Amino acid sequence: MNANDQPTIPITDLRHRQPRFQGIESGHRACLGCGEALAARLVTEAAGPDVMIANATGCLEIFTTPWPESAWRLPWMHSLFENTGAIAAGMEAALKAQGKSTKVLAFGGDGGTFDIGFQSLSGMLERGHNVLYVCYDNEAYMNTGIQRSSSTPHAAITTTSPAGRERMGKRHLKKDILTIIASHHIPYAASASVAYPCDIRQKVRRAMEIEGPTFLLIHSPCPLGWGHDGALSIEVARLAVKTGLFPLIELERGELIGAMPLRDPRPVTEYLRLQQRFAHLFKDDPRARQELEHLQALAERNIEYYGLKGTQDDPRDSEGADTVRRGGQRWA
Amino acid sequence: MTELTRGAYALPGTSLTFKTGTWRVQKPVHHYRPAPCRNACPAGEDAQAYLGLLAQGKPQKAWEAIVEANPLPAITGRVCHHPCESACNRGQYDEAIGIHGVERFLGDEAIRLGWAYPVTPPAAEARQVAVVGAGPAGLSAAYHLLRRGYRVSLFDSLPVAGGTCRMAIPPYRLPRNVLEAEIERLLATGIDFRAQQQLGRDVSLQELQQDFGAVFLGPGTQKNREWSIDGAVPRDLHVGLDLLKEWMTVGSMIQASSVAIIGGGNTAVDMARVLKRCGVPTVHIITHQSLPGDGEDAEDAMRAIPREISQAQEEGVIIHPHRGILRLILRGERVVGVEMAHMKKLPRPDGSVQRVPFEGTETVLHVDQVIPAIGQQVDDSGMADLLQRQPLFSPDASCALPGHPGIYVGGDARPGTGSVSAAVGDGRRAAAAIDRYLRGLEPALDNLPEAVPFQQINLNYFEHAPRIDAPILPPAQRSGQEEIETSLEANQAGHEAGRCLSCGNCLACDNCWTLCPDSAVLKTTERAADGSHYVFDYDYCKGCGLCAHECPCGYIAMEDEG
Repeated sequence: MNANDQPTIPITDLRHRQPRFQGIESGHRACLGCGEALAARLVTEAAGPDVMIANATGCLEIFTTPWPESAWRLPWMHSLFENTGAIAAGMEAALKAQGKSTKVLAFGGDGGTFDIGFQSLSGMLERGHNVLYVCYDNEAYMNTGIQRSSSTPHAAITTTSPAGRERMGKRHLKKDILTIIASHHIPYAASASVAYPCDIRQKVRRAMEIEGPTFLLIHSPCPLGWGHDGALSIEVARLAVKTGLFPLIELERGELIGAMPLRDPRPVTEYLRLQQRFAHLFKDDPRARQELEHLQALAERNIEYYGLKGTQDDPRDSEGADTVRRGGQRWA
Repeated sequence: MTELTRGAYALPGTSLTFKTGTWRVQKPVHHYRPAPCRNACPAGEDAQAYLGLLAQGKPQKAWEAIVEANPLPAITGRVCHHPCESACNRGQYDEAIGIHGVERFLGDEAIRLGWAYPVTPPAAEARQVAVVGAGPAGLSAAYHLLRRGYRVSLFDSLPVAGGTCRMAIPPYRLPRNVLEAEIERLLATGIDFRAQQQLGRDVSLQELQQDFGAVFLGPGTQKNREWSIDGAVPRDLHVGLDLLKEWMTVGSMIQASSVAIIGGGNTAVDMARVLKRCGVPTVHIITHQSLPGDGEDAEDAMRAIPREISQAQEEGVIIHPHRGILRLILRGERVVGVEMAHMKKLPRPDGSVQRVPFEGTETVLHVDQVIPAIGQQVDDSGMADLLQRQPLFSPDASCALPGHPGIYVGGDARPGTGSVSAAVGDGRRAAAAIDRYLRGLEPALDNLPEAVPFQQINLNYFEHAPRIDAPILPPAQRSGQEEIETSLEANQAGHEAGRCLSCGNCLACDNCWTLCPDSAVLKTTERAADGSHYVFDYDYCKGCGLCAHECPCGYIAMEDEG
């Protein structure tokens, strides 16, 4: 077999004949193995071409639109950190006034969602706008140089939560944003992970069908900020799910209606060990051991609270949901 | 309406002008490597390839992939010890793929539906090659020479082709209708079969060398090794292989109430099972070697196929491992028993091993027949000059006989083979070597790269799935010549093919296409020249290695940029 055979069809033609909708083109400046770039492409692919996007300041905004270029193939608008919810709400109201059914998507990182843009997001949800808000959660302000956000997990190192004599990384806990969102009693809110693309698509399609505010939180590894090889982005995201640290759940009107079961919950160390931001937890230090125990307890609390432990093998559980089929049939 | 200034917008998809491929220090490449089953197959079959074709719903293409290497899949699917399954990576995950069941299914389908061998009749002026011995090695050599465009004459001393498959493998392992059908179909591809032509009697090697461009010898081992216990031999001595041949051709068998068979190979085990079927109440096998799979050195295990040994035990054959015969107990010249003892392998100072009977372990077995089945050697009729009084030939790895250009040997007649599949593999390699020889090229061996190790399979993407084996006749019903193992149904064969991990080859699962953050993997069926369904767009690939890490099959490798 020879991988170096010259193409018979020019590769640029091939690019335009791909059997999927491509919302984000190549040539964007995301880092190697970027989880967010992958997640955003998967979301636009499932949402389809009849959408408009308001995009908060952040990595996604920066790496897709270095003027005078744009990687987007969709109507897209840069909002600010703090007003994405408001901009999306305005876009939706304007479309409604014109009698158009185009769905508005709002994209933000965890900084623009958990912290800075939270007020306008809450207002958008409260007023019941027909918007799907997607938060790409890479657990820190990566674009500005890896500062902690309220989404940064407990004990992780960022440039503003270093490990040292006083602290073992971030002192506080990761904000439970989904519960806060759910308290708005919106029709649909869910968490997803780039390690489970089918699950992302199902959740996006579900949200697209709903008339009203919906929210999707997608765990998106950042190789640079988390300190792992770009090749391991999926591996890391998968272990976050399999350990119970990032549960994949669905909420309707604030009530838990589903969770991806864990067939075989893994110890949190399997997840933490792959990332430099947790490297200090593997030093010979009693505080490190205590933090590892703490993180394990947080995972166990999730497993118990959301009833994640599967009772039997299930094709939709953490082991079955990514099973491959010859000819790509798993993506059907 | 207000015009937007140029600084306020960008046109869609214009990032394509920025080639992020320049960032790359490593690039992903499709890197085909053989699956372990392929490297383990003595016949050289690529099971991964035909399992894949069957899983795609192309059974005929799958069969054609088998007969690329092995023209006798209905036979080997039944009699082979399938080392492919021992090597299968899936065996380390749950259970190995039932490859032999699929091979057998496809072989039977080809016979049932009359699929034609992918062979075109040779041109009238094509060069001629002689093949001596129409056993599996000779049949395979003839077939592969024919595929390479040579005219082949196949000589055998018997009136029918088949060799060991016909003469020594009992019908309960290989039904005659299957054997007949497969061989008849194979000979009909255009092989000139010359029956009842014995080397040294009807035709001489010199004549063959004069009339043909090259000669392949697949004579098998037709001569019994000398056997006695300290010079004592019973008057009515019968040798295992001779009895087996007699039973299979004539149908007669000795009468006895208790028999001891000496040896640990397939002949000994087949002999024991045939005796049970012929009504001998007690059948013993006495062997120096150990039972397979009892944790001891595999080198020291009985050479018979482990499956056959356990089936023989189910049928009531008593096996005495690590035992040697000290003495025949004779009344006159008739055997009434044997004295045996536990033997242990002890190293000699020169590194060789010696078997020593332990004092105090002697036991007497009352038997009225002793049948040696200790192995055979080449009958040198017509080949005495080549064989030089050796028990077996010693050809090189391409089956060429050193010092005799144009003469090739394979099958049981060389050491270290002893299976139908190995004989088929010899025939294939010899045909390739003969082809190069006749075209005046230097010999070349097809060295396969190392197989994909289990560690390079990404198991996250596979679910556990139980292996399906075809039902086996319960021991109580195994009386006649009826085949013991049965066939897989079409859906069961499909299930087994679907379990294949596709080690080292593209599964077309879409993982790389779906997971590339840079959309630098493009999907295509017509463009992917390497048999995958994808191409890398190196204009944009940043070389993160995500596709390689998430490839379930170990088919994508990262290479340094030159």
